[in-house]
Amino acid sequence: MASQLSLTCHLCGQEHRRIRLEPGEKALCTRCGAVLETGARLGPDTALAFSVTGLILSVPAVLLPFVSARTLGDERISLLFTGVGSLWGGGMRLLSVLVFLCGWLLPLTLLAAFAILRAPSQMGWDKADFRLLSRAARVLERWAIPEVQVLAVLVALMKLGDALDSTIGPGFWCYCGMALSLLIARHSFDFDSTAPPHHAGGRDSTAPT
Amino acid sequence: MNRFLARAGFGATSSAAALALAAAVMLVPANLLPVLSTESSGSNRSDTIFSGIVELWRQGLWAIAAIVFTASILIPILKLAGLGWLLLSARRGVFGNSRRLARIYATLDFIGRWSMLDVFLAAFLTGLVQFGEFSTVVPRSGLIAFAAAVVLTVLSTQAFDPRVLWPAPAASTS
Repeated sequence: MASQLSLTCHLCGQEHRRIRLEPGEKALCTRCGAVLETGARLGPDTALAFSVTGLILSVPAVLLPFVSARTLGDERISLLFTGVGSLWGGGMRLLSVLVFLCGWLLPLTLLAAFAILRAPSQMGWDKADFRLLSRAARVLERWAIPEVQVLAVLVALMKLGDALDSTIGPGFWCYCGMALSLLIARHSFDFDSTAPPHHAGGRDSTAPT
Repeated sequence: MNRFLARAGFGATSSAAALALAAAVMLVPANLLPVLSTESSGSNRSDTIFSGIVELWRQGLWAIAAIVFTASILIPILKLAGLGWLLLSARRGVFGNSRRLARIYATLDFIGRWSMLDVFLAAFLTGLVQFGEFSTVVPRSGLIAFAAAVVLTVLSTQAFDPRVLWPAPAASTS
C-alpha cells in the first residue's frame, strides 16, 4: 500500500515520503508549501472524538429553539429549519434546498464520514469503500459550511438590533458547538490516509497486493 | 510547454473557465435586483445587496456593514478576478511563479465559502421576522441570482485542478 508510505500534495501533485509527526508538528510540501499533514495535538483520536460530538450536538440543534423574537406582544420562536421552511413555502425551493444542504445535511454527512473513517473497528467495510468515502468527504468539504451560518445569524441579530426583542436559544448554541466540532475534526483529519493512524501499520503488513 | 502535464492544455481549464464566466454573468442580476424586502407597519422597502450595506452603514452598524460588504461584494469579485488570473496563467504556461499562484488558489478556495453569508442571512431573517402586518421580511429574486453566482464560483474552483500550475512532478512522470 503506497498511500500509507507516500504522501501526494493535493495542490501540486508532488510526491513525498511520509514521516512520523509529533503532536503539533506540520508537514509542508517541499515545492508549494501547502500543509500536507498535521500531527494531532490532542492525540490520534481527535477527529473521531469531535466528529461524534458534532453528530450528537446536531440533534438538539434541530429540536431546541434557535432564536426567539418578540414585537408588540407577539412572540415567535424559530428553529434551525424555520428559515428553510419559509424559503420553501415562499416558492424559493432551490434556495431552501441549498441552505438545508450547506447548513445542515452536508456538515452532518461530513461528520459521519469522519467518524466512520476513524472508527476503531472497520464494521465490515471494504478498503475500497473507505477510499471512496474519503474522496467523497474531500469533495463535500467545500459545501459543508455551518460556520458561515453561525456568522450569518449573529449578523442578522445585530442588524435587527432594537427593532425586535430577540433572544438566542439553546438550539443555536448546540449548532455553534456542532460547527466548532466540525472545524476541529476537519483540521485534525488527514484525507490521505484511509485507515486510523494507530491501525495503519498492522493492516498494511497483512494487506494483499 | 512540453514540461507541463498534458492536462495543462486548453481543454483542462475550460470547464472551470465556463463556470467562472457563468458566475460573472449571474453577478450582474445579483447586484441589480433586490434581494430582500422589509414590510413594517405599512412602510415597505426593497434592498439590493449594495443598498442593504449602505443602510447598515447609515444606522451606524459599521462592523456589520463591513462584514456583509466583504462577504457579498468583495469576496465574489476577488474570487472571480483571481480565478481569471489563474486560468489565464495556466493557459499561457506558468514560469517561475507557480508557488505564488498555488497560494492564491488555496486562499480563493478558503474565502469562497464566506460569500454564502448573505444567503444564510436572508433565510434566517425570512424565517424569524414573520409578524404579519407589523413586520415581515420577504426574499426577492436577486437572492437566487446571488446564490447561483456563489455556487458557480465554488464549482469553478472545484473544477480547476491546481496541479496545472506546476510542471509534472519528477516522480510521477518516470
